[in-house]
Amino acid sequence: MAPEHASSTATAEPEFWQSVDQWMDTPQFREMVQNEFPEDAAEWVDPVSRRQFLTLMGASVALAGAVGCNPSFKPASQRKVVPYVVQPDQITPGVPLFFSTAMPQANGVGLGLIVKSVEGRPIKCEGNPNHPSSEGAIDLSALAAPLSFYDPDRSQACRMGETATTADKAIAAFKEILTRQAEKPLADRGEGVRLLTEPTTSPTIFRLMDDFLKRFPAAKWIQYEPIGNSNSRKGLFAAFGKNVTPIYDFSEANVVLSLDADFLSGPGSVRYAKDFGARRRISTIDATEELEEKHAKDNPDDKTHFHPKWEAIIAEATSGMNRLYVVEGALTSTGAVADHRLPLKPSQIESFARALAVELKITGVTAGTLPAEVLAWIAPLAADLLAQSGHCAVIAGEHQSPAVHILTAAINLKIKAGHAPVKYIPPLDGVTGDAADDFKKLVAEMNAGKVHTLLMSGVNPVYDAPADLEFAKALDAVKAKKAGGVFHHGLYLDESAVPYATWHINAAHFLEAWGDVRGHDGTASLQQPLIAPLYKGKSLLEILATAIEFPISEAMALVKDTWEKAFAEKKIGETKVDGVPLTFAKYWEKSLRDGVLIESKADFPKLKSAELGEVKLDKLAAPGFTQAAIDKLEIQFRPDPVLFDGKFANNGWLQELPKPVTNLTWDNAAMVSPRTADELKFTQNFAWTGGERGSTETDIAELTVGGRKLKVAVHVQPGMADNVVVLHLGLGRERAGKVGDKRGFDSYKLRATDGLWNAPVTEMRRTGERYTLAVAGAHAAMESRRPVRHASVEQYANDEDFAQIPPTSAAEFEEIRMLTPGTIENFQLNGLKHPYAHDHGDHGGGEHDHKGHDARLKKLSLYLVNPITVNGEEATKSYRRWGMTIDLGSCTGCGACTLACVAENNIPVVGKDQVMRGRAMHWIRIDRYFSIPGHATMSDELGAAKIGPEKRKEKIKESSAIRTHFQPVPCQQCEKAPCEVVCPVGATVHGADGLNDMVYNRCVGTRYCSNNCPYKVRRFNFLQYTDYDTGSLKLLNNPEVTVRTRGVMEKCTYCVQRIRNAEIEVEREWKNRSGPLLDDAGKPKLDKAGNEMRKPTEDKFGRPKILDGDIVTACQQACPSQCITFGDLNDDASEVIKAKAEPHNYGLLAELNTMPRTSYLAAIRNPNKNMPQGA
Amino acid sequence: MATVTEPATRGHIPNEIFPPHPEGLLGGNHDTVTLGDKIADVVIGGSTPKAWWMWFLFGFMLLQGLVVGLAYLFYMGTGVWGINQPVAWGLAIVNFVWWIGIGHAGTLISAILLLMHQKWRTSINRFAEAMTLFAVSCAGIFPLVHMGRPWLGYWLFPFPNNMAVWPQPRSPLMWDAFAVSTYLTVSLVFWYVGLIPDLAILRDTAKHKLQRMAYGMLALGWRGSAYHWRRYEKLYLLLAGLGTPLVFSVHTIVSFDFAVAIVPLWHATIFPPFFVAGAIFSGFAMVVWLAVPLRHYYGMKDFITDKHMELCAKVMIATGLLVSFGYFCELWMGWYSHSLYEWETTYQRIWEGPYWWSYWCLITTNTIIPQLLWIKRVRTNELLLFLVAGSVHIGMWFERYVIIITLSRDHTPGAWGRYAPTEWDYAIMVGSVGLFITLFCLFIKFLPMISITEMREFLPFKQGGRDGHAVMENAK
Repeated sequence: MAPEHASSTATAEPEFWQSVDQWMDTPQFREMVQNEFPEDAAEWVDPVSRRQFLTLMGASVALAGAVGCNPSFKPASQRKVVPYVVQPDQITPGVPLFFSTAMPQANGVGLGLIVKSVEGRPIKCEGNPNHPSSEGAIDLSALAAPLSFYDPDRSQACRMGETATTADKAIAAFKEILTRQAEKPLADRGEGVRLLTEPTTSPTIFRLMDDFLKRFPAAKWIQYEPIGNSNSRKGLFAAFGKNVTPIYDFSEANVVLSLDADFLSGPGSVRYAKDFGARRRISTIDATEELEEKHAKDNPDDKTHFHPKWEAIIAEATSGMNRLYVVEGALTSTGAVADHRLPLKPSQIESFARALAVELKITGVTAGTLPAEVLAWIAPLAADLLAQSGHCAVIAGEHQSPAVHILTAAINLKIKAGHAPVKYIPPLDGVTGDAADDFKKLVAEMNAGKVHTLLMSGVNPVYDAPADLEFAKALDAVKAKKAGGVFHHGLYLDESAVPYATWHINAAHFLEAWGDVRGHDGTASLQQPLIAPLYKGKSLLEILATAIEFPISEAMALVKDTWEKAFAEKKIGETKVDGVPLTFAKYWEKSLRDGVLIESKADFPKLKSAELGEVKLDKLAAPGFTQAAIDKLEIQFRPDPVLFDGKFANNGWLQELPKPVTNLTWDNAAMVSPRTADELKFTQNFAWTGGERGSTETDIAELTVGGRKLKVAVHVQPGMADNVVVLHLGLGRERAGKVGDKRGFDSYKLRATDGLWNAPVTEMRRTGERYTLAVAGAHAAMESRRPVRHASVEQYANDEDFAQIPPTSAAEFEEIRMLTPGTIENFQLNGLKHPYAHDHGDHGGGEHDHKGHDARLKKLSLYLVNPITVNGEEATKSYRRWGMTIDLGSCTGCGACTLACVAENNIPVVGKDQVMRGRAMHWIRIDRYFSIPGHATMSDELGAAKIGPEKRKEKIKESSAIRTHFQPVPCQQCEKAPCEVVCPVGATVHGADGLNDMVYNRCVGTRYCSNNCPYKVRRFNFLQYTDYDTGSLKLLNNPEVTVRTRGVMEKCTYCVQRIRNAEIEVEREWKNRSGPLLDDAGKPKLDKAGNEMRKPTEDKFGRPKILDGDIVTACQQACPSQCITFGDLNDDASEVIKAKAEPHNYGLLAELNTMPRTSYLAAIRNPNKNMPQGA
Repeated sequence: MATVTEPATRGHIPNEIFPPHPEGLLGGNHDTVTLGDKIADVVIGGSTPKAWWMWFLFGFMLLQGLVVGLAYLFYMGTGVWGINQPVAWGLAIVNFVWWIGIGHAGTLISAILLLMHQKWRTSINRFAEAMTLFAVSCAGIFPLVHMGRPWLGYWLFPFPNNMAVWPQPRSPLMWDAFAVSTYLTVSLVFWYVGLIPDLAILRDTAKHKLQRMAYGMLALGWRGSAYHWRRYEKLYLLLAGLGTPLVFSVHTIVSFDFAVAIVPLWHATIFPPFFVAGAIFSGFAMVVWLAVPLRHYYGMKDFITDKHMELCAKVMIATGLLVSFGYFCELWMGWYSHSLYEWETTYQRIWEGPYWWSYWCLITTNTIIPQLLWIKRVRTNELLLFLVAGSVHIGMWFERYVIIITLSRDHTPGAWGRYAPTEWDYAIMVGSVGLFITLFCLFIKFLPMISITEMREFLPFKQGGRDGHAVMENAK
């Protein structure tokens, strides 16, 4: 046997018994391995078969055992291995392993992930708590990555023209071109050779590129991103005279102004949403405790019981809330959660920024013209920004002209945002010029015949380059040169590969390749593969290293080498970890395990004001910087909020996810405001099949922008600015794959270099054709039912019970609250003491005890939680009671919860047709409502009873008054579940811990439960939705969750598999797991005797306790704004019981006596009283 | 003791003119022999009317819709229908309740009217019972096939099994399984027991050996002895007693499918009486629909007289008004409850929702049009009565449609949706009509559509009968 701890450094010596063939490196052995099933040799070119998978699986499992004791090392090789016959240690079949890695996203910025691997197959991505860009949460594209990884449509072989070939040959061809170049004089070397890659922040790629460009100085490397950040780069370069990237710290921002920036959704938003959301959640419980502590401190002699006044409590609780102003043309997630939102034509936002700058007395800026109602915003907004100077941020969207970015920089400097919330750092991607311009130049060179060899990696310019550049023609020009060729390296045989590529090299997915990538603040992460490449794909690293004959060609070794050098350069070895100096081996191991590289952030320091200097405003009116106001109809292109630029178009999870705000699936559409739709005579109505739940019939318009025409479906979107058409990019793909082909409309066809984001619309007219959009959940109004309860801070201060008033039987709201599990009243009703109950039995809502309610009304339900006696103390009958709260105040409707649930629970994709029939399977539905709240009252002019369709049609045109609400609705886990009583076969039953369990095996499919569910959260497999046929997709399933068949009902289970796992764990380990109890500062708490307090691991009856955080549901884990809290209602220390005690906690439809375990925290907004438009 | 089955010569013509029936329940000039001949000839002699072939082939053709529809359904799953979230029940349940309702009149006529000494039941009870059986059979298809996994339908019944699982007794669907199957069983037994003496007559008068053997076997050795009659009549009375509560229980329990749920406008105590009245309403409408062609094509006007038709019409107007009262109660409770959900849903149902038209279809066909029955000319005009009965069929169908479609807009506005049936919904619905027509045609062809023995008993004393049903009249 090999030694117990084989060296894992990048040497050629055999490693561990992983490489059995290396170890027993004999020709016979190789023969045996390779020819065992010679008749199946063909399978290797087919989609992954079961047998092939077993081999691959064996490979990565064996790797796991191979590299030693550290779990982080397990997937760390791609060398050929054979399936194991003896179970390696660390692998227990059925017990998943978690590995950290990172996903390169928009602009090459990485998101740190923890990937769950089951028997060697990666099945789910979760956020890495150590990574500054994710902090444990995650965004949509990362959640959907495993499906893309197993996508059967991925390119599975290299091709030369039409014929299959190997990667070696393709790389050799590239290498040969370079070899020929090497014969030229140094200055000409690389002439005609261009590398066109997606933006990257990978230090290892930079190393290789540096080497390449040094040796081939005439070659060029262009980083191309269709949704790039060149506007802000250009603007900020003009402002500061150097390349900078702004990053934001929302934990420091009291006031935020967004100028068309959708910073709460899309790639790179996770950390922002998290910090932002943290300051939208309020806790009156914490506030009360603080006030009480303060009182006790100030009045040490006061022995009477002090209970602060409600006014003081609410003032304390909301003092930390931030305030968001949004000025935008479209209606985005960010706009939806704003305290003040101004719909404004995107081309006017520059004038807005100018007006604001003038108001802030920034010299050198001239104000543009703006309508009076917009001007009314400027003064109070400026006053608010100045008042919070040093704690506010102005953020400009990438869709805005460079001038807006210059102005934003100036404003930020003026309001001292640079102190804390806005930080400027050097750009992570190393691009020094204007990337968009570089790309334009490349196309010009290509057309001029100056390029003979083009390597495209991870890009698809034929599809997404500006239409006027006609990239396909340019590619033909390159091909016509015949001196080199077009090399295409990508995951798919996409639009740019066929028929343009001379060579196509299938890429390795980030889950199967080594690499490194930087997060938004510069922190670097290692990207470690979870499995050997399914289709022998190559990463850019490997191709480059081989082609340029870099001394190291193996990807892992390369990455390791990069960081070994960095380790030496930065003297990281001097840092001590646990008192021991760090060795590189340790450093590497720790970095792999943690997912972040220590000290790597230091390369991208925050630039100090002195370094930045004054903002130069000279370019403000320069051509190419400013955006001319567009009088009439204008179009704005935006990346699709789910599919981004179109890269993920073949991902069914993403295609089917209702887009935030619009709830559109499987399509994009030209979005216009109701008034504009009216003027242009577009109509939209619900189809009979599915209706509001899926089918919206609409007009097809012919849209002409700068001479280019596109026929596109129209979607009427309330809340948008009038005379604006918003068109999402990323759909209408021609060669995306089976899922993504011909979905939606290719808006890139309208996008030109002179109007990358905004352009005047020449004409938009009805064609007379109709189109059916799959809009899931299109009903707009709350119909006076108040499913989403919301108030301003002031309204909350005036009426602490505002969230309690149900739409019906309003007089009984206290009794209804008693039937909401986890509330103080609910505990009292059952004769139990709530951990947050005040001594005289009230908290928040406490004064009601003195209001003289009719006691006869108290028993609304015959069913009470019968207290039982355990060890002489009263306890609820159930031992653990799971409960959840969802904070509507911080929900941005992004859909991450829905998608995380899909990935965790094997929820099938049903396709557009089924969505249109109202059969989407998502267990969490995000209801989106619009309302027009009154200024002072809680009225909703849109949802008031009997407003009538005609009047509502008029009302909804008031774009600036429209308020958007999101409400994620999973199963409410009713204690008295209406679904349970009606099931004839007992397929849905109540568990001992109060979960409403679904027994798939027992379900016969009467669907009665669904009818009787007032929340309509049950989902039925009307057809065989789960794909049982595609081999590779089977590998994606989570083995802990039953894969449902046709005819079976399903629904949210609170991730019961995670609950059961935690229970097993706690039963086994609870005696040993008592860690120190930490205070808020992270220091161990001490008891009165000065001893360290330990975490309680058993409840007062001596039963093992599951602590907060032991179970995290998939949705809770994913939620970027962290609005989901889950835990045990019987645990006094749980976060959830605290949240349930809040006065703004309410049960949805609790008046039906369903006693929902999931409850909502009403949305509290923080409007500025001086603003013209109220909350 | 009845002695009416004495052998008589076929083709015998009564040699005296009998006075017209005092209640108008009998026409022509019949004694026991001519009466028996007239009814039995349809089965064992005479020619089959062309109309029978027409109807049979028509029904058989429609039946193929069921065959194809079910085959496709079983192959693909319930997704071939238009059901979705939130409307998880669709036409299948509409049709189920509709058919069950139609299946009501038969047992009501046979059992309840018998116990209530209504002589006019005798002419129509046999085919009404057949109607019941076939309607319940049609109805029974739907709850089974609407399941997501119909092959597990037997799980709704308690049976010892190694999975140690039993039905969930709080669910109305389980009660349904019991109620409908009990109803079907009792109706079948009742019908068959009533048929036995007639089968014996057919056996005795049959022309072909095959007929003799078939009817002989079915007659279970009936010889018409006094013992046989005594036991027969006791059993018949007992079954009538047993059938009576079932008439009320079946539709009451079917209504619980809705009333037990918390869906607004489903959750209503009015449902059981309202549903039973509706069932009788539609059942009698169907009796009218069946009686008209029988009178027309088989010349049964002597036995199913205008008086019978008028009486059916009167039952219809009575039950129709009860049903309309039910509609009023729903509106009233929606308003009076002061519950937002109840009233808004009512408002959606009648005016603002996308399905307002179906409510007004229902009111027009089920409340307004049947008021024509107050006019005697309408009650006695076969064509007009037929049309009104047709309106009731449509109305009762829409009633269930309106109830089901309430699901499209219930508590949570964010979950609101719509429902439209697909061609496969319609295929199965039309196919069930085909099944009914086919079965009924076969029944007419092979079994006496009117009970010979009971009609003989019903004949006035002078005409050789006992002026009523022996079971009841003897008891007097």
